[in-house]
Amino acid sequence: MNNQILQSDYRYGFSKPENYTFKSKKGLNKKTVEEISRHKNEPEWMLRFRLEALAVFYKKQMPVWGGDLSRINFDDIYYYIKPIKDKAGSWEELPKEIKETYDAIGIPEAEKKFLGGVSAQYESEVVYKSIQKTLGDKGVIFLDMDTGLREFPDLVREYFGTLIPPQDNKFSALNSAVWSGGSFIYVPKGVKVELPLQAYFRINAANMGQFERTLIIADEGSYVHYVEGCTAPVYTTDSLHSAVVEIFVKKGARVRYTTIQNWSGNVYNLVTKRMRVETEGFGEWIDGNIGSKLTMKYPSVYLMGKGARGEILSVAYAGANQHQDAGGKAIHFAPYTSSKITSKSVSADGGRTSYRGLIQVFPSAIKAKTKVICDALLIDDTSRSDTYPTMDIRHNDVQIEHEATVSKIGDEQLFYLNSRGLKKADAEAMIVNGFIEPIVKELPLEYAVELNRLIQLEMEGSVG
Amino acid sequence: MSILSIKNLSVQLEDKKILSGINLELLRGKIHCLMGPNGSGKSTLAQVLMGHPGYLTTSGQISILGRNLEEKATDERARLGMFLAFQNPVAVPGVSVANLLRMALGQNHNGKGRSKHNPALNLVSSVNEKILAVSRKLEMPREFLNRGLNEEFSGGEKKKLEMLQALILSPRVAIFDEIDTGLDVDALRIVAHGISLLKKAGCSILLITHYQRILKFAKPDYVHILIKGKLVSSGSFILARKIEKSGYREWLSP
Repeated sequence: MNNQILQSDYRYGFSKPENYTFKSKKGLNKKTVEEISRHKNEPEWMLRFRLEALAVFYKKQMPVWGGDLSRINFDDIYYYIKPIKDKAGSWEELPKEIKETYDAIGIPEAEKKFLGGVSAQYESEVVYKSIQKTLGDKGVIFLDMDTGLREFPDLVREYFGTLIPPQDNKFSALNSAVWSGGSFIYVPKGVKVELPLQAYFRINAANMGQFERTLIIADEGSYVHYVEGCTAPVYTTDSLHSAVVEIFVKKGARVRYTTIQNWSGNVYNLVTKRMRVETEGFGEWIDGNIGSKLTMKYPSVYLMGKGARGEILSVAYAGANQHQDAGGKAIHFAPYTSSKITSKSVSADGGRTSYRGLIQVFPSAIKAKTKVICDALLIDDTSRSDTYPTMDIRHNDVQIEHEATVSKIGDEQLFYLNSRGLKKADAEAMIVNGFIEPIVKELPLEYAVELNRLIQLEMEGSVG
Repeated sequence: MSILSIKNLSVQLEDKKILSGINLELLRGKIHCLMGPNGSGKSTLAQVLMGHPGYLTTSGQISILGRNLEEKATDERARLGMFLAFQNPVAVPGVSVANLLRMALGQNHNGKGRSKHNPALNLVSSVNEKILAVSRKLEMPREFLNRGLNEEFSGGEKKKLEMLQALILSPRVAIFDEIDTGLDVDALRIVAHGISLLKKAGCSILLITHYQRILKFAKPDYVHILIKGKLVSSGSFILARKIEKSGYREWLSP
């Protein structure tokens, strides 16, 4: 009942007529994979990689923990869709339909204001990108993954699939077999990219899986902030989004990866994200999950070098019929490494959030420091929140902190805000926005505004 | 001119009668002081006027400028010009007073001028300036404006935050529930100055207090005495002086 209200109210639930130049058949088999690879003119090794991954996918069991995955039908999904013949180099060259879709989510506006480099993805292929010239002059590579593979095959081969191999889990295997699109970024030694690099992703065909693949390499002493935001239109059948993100943070480098995802209520969002941080490097995940039917996502930091740091900020909102199973993992391999995981989750209207986290400290990681804070806010009595923290500490010379709170919106808080003229839904949204504020303030301004607004819309929908 | 009219108001909390047969007219640009011993129902009256859902009104009527408030929820009452400064304002983590006021002003304008995407942004600059100006008058450090509402503020600072909101929202009727407790002399003078500014702007003020101190700075036009849920006496400032001398004995004796 509530779901229907939410879905019919879903503000981003527009969809455009489908207009594709190539669409693979539904279902997954060797032929599909070969077709994808051939269509992209990939090197032989990538085809082999895909086929091996497919074999792994067949062998791997579905995860039995986390959320309910039983309704995913792998035979009922399109694995590759290419929307238009060539990539457009500028906004004007984009087909009208695609421009309208972007207009509806506000991307040109965003570009005007902020963007240093834009690489926006429309379904499986990046159709619109404009890379600021200065990036190129500094030697920064910012391409869609397909082009990256074509233009820098050796660099891609050195790193691709080495941090998250297909064997990691069933969905990393699936992504490895059928991946398409995503971003490829290389930042040379000592180069600091001052403006965030941004990409917008969208799924726009019923039953289409989106399997983007992102690879970021930040060479020694460099800095880059990558920002990714997603909205998806509503469909009656279930959609699958399963991405893989691998990030290499070299000595003294810093990478921040920000995601705001707002999938419609029928999307399975199953993503594997990992950062490898070398000596004195700093890797940060900022991860916002709104919408989707089920999200399972635990960005991780592998702290490999002495003094490496990792931070994960995770915020999740689950409304009616939604399950956000999110959190983070920090694995300490080296001495003096430090990690911090902050998770804030909001459950409303019968929604369910779970924090799932792992802290692992190996004997080699003396003087390691780690801190986990997970706070849950429940809007009503029908909503649910769980925490599944795991700690595996293999020695004593380590500093560990763990804080967890669960709170409910208080009647007195509501009365206070109402007495200032705020309607109930707005007052609740304001309390929620205040609750997640420690994370929102880390976002670039327009994303902060968007996140607050999205949550407000979700809540207005759920109360109406 | 009467702004807020209370007629024969009786209220209970669960089975307990708290207020009975209250009649009171709050006048434009006047300070009405409400006094009474602990537990006489002063705070209940304040909360009931603001529409707190926890109380049951068993009889009577409250109206603002002739509009009956019976069916009006708290937020509607606020938009009609009612304001309550809380005795113990609750903390709302992560929500700054500036944020709250921007949102409140956006709604008080009946949604006019609200941008589709972000209601706050339109008003930001003018409201921000106003907030800054008022906060300077109240001698509040700028960082107070962006800190979480009532979070880690001292008692006196919270009271100033309440006064700040009153001055920005400029209500028709402002109820101050023990705004003077926990204030040092300087803060008391500042808060009283806020009350006189509201009065000058034509606001009708209900000042609930235990003490005479604030009345020296914000001189009431009328004093009302509430004992065991009943208004037993109304008069001028002289009534407050009398209470200072001999307390409530006169009305408490059986």
